[in-house]
Amino acid sequence: MDLQTQESLTHNNQKDPNMASTHSSLNESERKALEQALPMWKIVFNQFKEHKMAFYSAFVILFFLIVALSAELITKVTGLDPNRQNVGARYLAPMSRAQATDDIKESAVEVYINQHPDEAKKLATELKAQNILIVDTDTENENQDALYDLIMKPDEEVKATLAKLQNVNYSNYEAILKTFSTYHVFGTDEVGRDVLIRLVYGARVSIGVGIMVALSSALIGLLIGGIAGFYGGKIDMALMRVTDALLSLPTIPILIVFSAVDLSKLPAIKQMMNPSYESIIKMFVIMCLFSWMTVARLVRGSILSLREREFVLAAKTLGATDATIILRHMFPNVIAPMLVAITLGVGSSIIYESALSFLGLGIMPPTPSWGNMLNNAQEVIYKNVWLTVLPGLMIFITTVSFNFVGDGLQDAVDPKSIKR
Amino acid sequence: MGTYILRRLIQTVIVIGLISYMCFYLMTLMPGDPVELMIQSNPRITSEDIARLRELYNLDQPAYVRYFSWAKDIMSGDLGYSRTYRVPVQELMGPRLKNTFVLSFMALLTSLLIALPFGIYSALKPGSRVDYFVNFFSFGGISIPSFWLGLMLIIIFSVQLGVLPAGGTETIGVDHESTWSFFKDRALYLILPVISLSVQQIGVFVRYIRSSMMEAMRNDFIRTAKAKGLSRFVVVWKHGFRNALIPLITIFALSFSGLFSGAILTETVFAYQGVGKLVYDSIMSNDYNVAMISFIISVSMVLLMNLLADILYGFADPRISYT
Repeated sequence: MDLQTQESLTHNNQKDPNMASTHSSLNESERKALEQALPMWKIVFNQFKEHKMAFYSAFVILFFLIVALSAELITKVTGLDPNRQNVGARYLAPMSRAQATDDIKESAVEVYINQHPDEAKKLATELKAQNILIVDTDTENENQDALYDLIMKPDEEVKATLAKLQNVNYSNYEAILKTFSTYHVFGTDEVGRDVLIRLVYGARVSIGVGIMVALSSALIGLLIGGIAGFYGGKIDMALMRVTDALLSLPTIPILIVFSAVDLSKLPAIKQMMNPSYESIIKMFVIMCLFSWMTVARLVRGSILSLREREFVLAAKTLGATDATIILRHMFPNVIAPMLVAITLGVGSSIIYESALSFLGLGIMPPTPSWGNMLNNAQEVIYKNVWLTVLPGLMIFITTVSFNFVGDGLQDAVDPKSIKR
Repeated sequence: MGTYILRRLIQTVIVIGLISYMCFYLMTLMPGDPVELMIQSNPRITSEDIARLRELYNLDQPAYVRYFSWAKDIMSGDLGYSRTYRVPVQELMGPRLKNTFVLSFMALLTSLLIALPFGIYSALKPGSRVDYFVNFFSFGGISIPSFWLGLMLIIIFSVQLGVLPAGGTETIGVDHESTWSFFKDRALYLILPVISLSVQQIGVFVRYIRSSMMEAMRNDFIRTAKAKGLSRFVVVWKHGFRNALIPLITIFALSFSGLFSGAILTETVFAYQGVGKLVYDSIMSNDYNVAMISFIISVSMVLLMNLLADILYGFADPRISYT
């Protein structure tokens, strides 16, 4: 034993009488609280809280999850649409305002006329009667050209004109004005789409794929590792050979080859799939195929040692079936390390997905993912650096958070490190 | 030991065979085939021509027949012809392999040179401020997407500061009067790719080195060495580090797989002319012969390094026995 530990021990010994006196002065309820055994999850949670970075990272993840899940709400509140293009406002810098182009204005007026034909007619005739706008007579269109001409003017002028009219009830027409001027906190991309809202929808795809892949591959790993560990012998050898072979392959080249496959050449699969989600499902399946191995090895190792334990023997003697032994008696013992593996798996899945999407093989546009937002980053960096900085930063923050949480969980579920 | 290596070698060959067949089959499922490309480039092509071309390229045969005839060609040393680059694949692979090897080796060296001192220091002083920062940065290194890091480096050093080239392998069209200026030119193009490839490896290495070193320093013989009154230098390096090195050898050899995987992304970002970029480019442009060969070479390299790792492990640690 080194000196230091000895010192601390003597230190503790000196402290002990003190502690004893405080113990004896506890009242009934405090004593009860102390003596009560804590449930497992509470011990783990208390331990987890000690890992500061992991604890904060959990909040970061929570924040991202809430943002991703409320993407539609954000669209509704801010009026930003991830797919709305604006050719007149490409590569806008962050914190800038964009004006809609003429064709967007025109189509907005067209929608307005279709939705409120009466109001449009009234407004058009009034504009004509007041002679505010000199328009060629187009009686068959009931003077609707006036509406188009008016909207092309600057906002203030339109508002002033509308204010001059006697009938003030043209709020619907005035409302479409508001949609023309959009504010972009993070600027716009190469076709004038808002970067912020694309990041929000991208969070949904990227984190969603990451979590789904980690969970599903953990399930596959649990199944394969469980079977291999429980039955042993030839089954174990065959399964572990496959696992080791897959584990030894370089991940990115394999993923590239698989994701370059064109599913339309496999008609059986094509019929089952909705084309708009095709690339997401393809990505998910491919990544699951190549990420279950770590969990399988982990589960196999635990099951191998659990197999020799007395409680399994007891269950067997009582006549439990194999399925019961595996599901009821063994799996609860491997859940803790699996939880760690899943959390760490989310991080690496997000990185792999983004790498493939970056290469143009993963999630296909227009569906935004953090990876495919970086798709043509090499050209874009000369126009607007934020287009490259932000999506990558999101990937980085999310992955680092998941890795920290995984590390924290590892410490927390490790019985050797638990302090009571 | 001999039979173990032999068995592993046979296993590796089988895995390579299976992987190459799978890859060959997947290539037939990729969009477009060579004849389709010819149809697109020549609108006056007749249907007889198409049938004749398909027969010429054996495209009317099922995949496994084509695979075996392709494998027979490979065995006899004919790697085929690149449709994109218009040269035999052999000629294409040589310089590409050399470039990737230089990149991977430099990245491995850099990450070791940085990771070893930091990992060992933080293992000797756990809980110190340095340990805290090393831990923090290794987490960052593991989590950072290497291609994005590459893009950030381009933005900072090429676009903003303009001190380093944004991509490529060497300055095109320059005659180097001396070998020194040639090396200087190549080195300039290597700096950014090596950094972006190393950062993740540093993160991984530091964590392994730290835990392995801590494990080694916990041994009884370390206490004995200390009690004997050996100097701290001898205790740490001769007794601690040498034992910590055993598991690390495997990690370093296995890291080759990660470097090779990462090299595809790094080479694509920096337009560095290596095997990784060749794999990606040839798959994207339907250059089957090149894609197959470069893919199989990268997989074989990784598998052989894994094998080497296992063998080295046996040599480094006499306690391991192979049966």
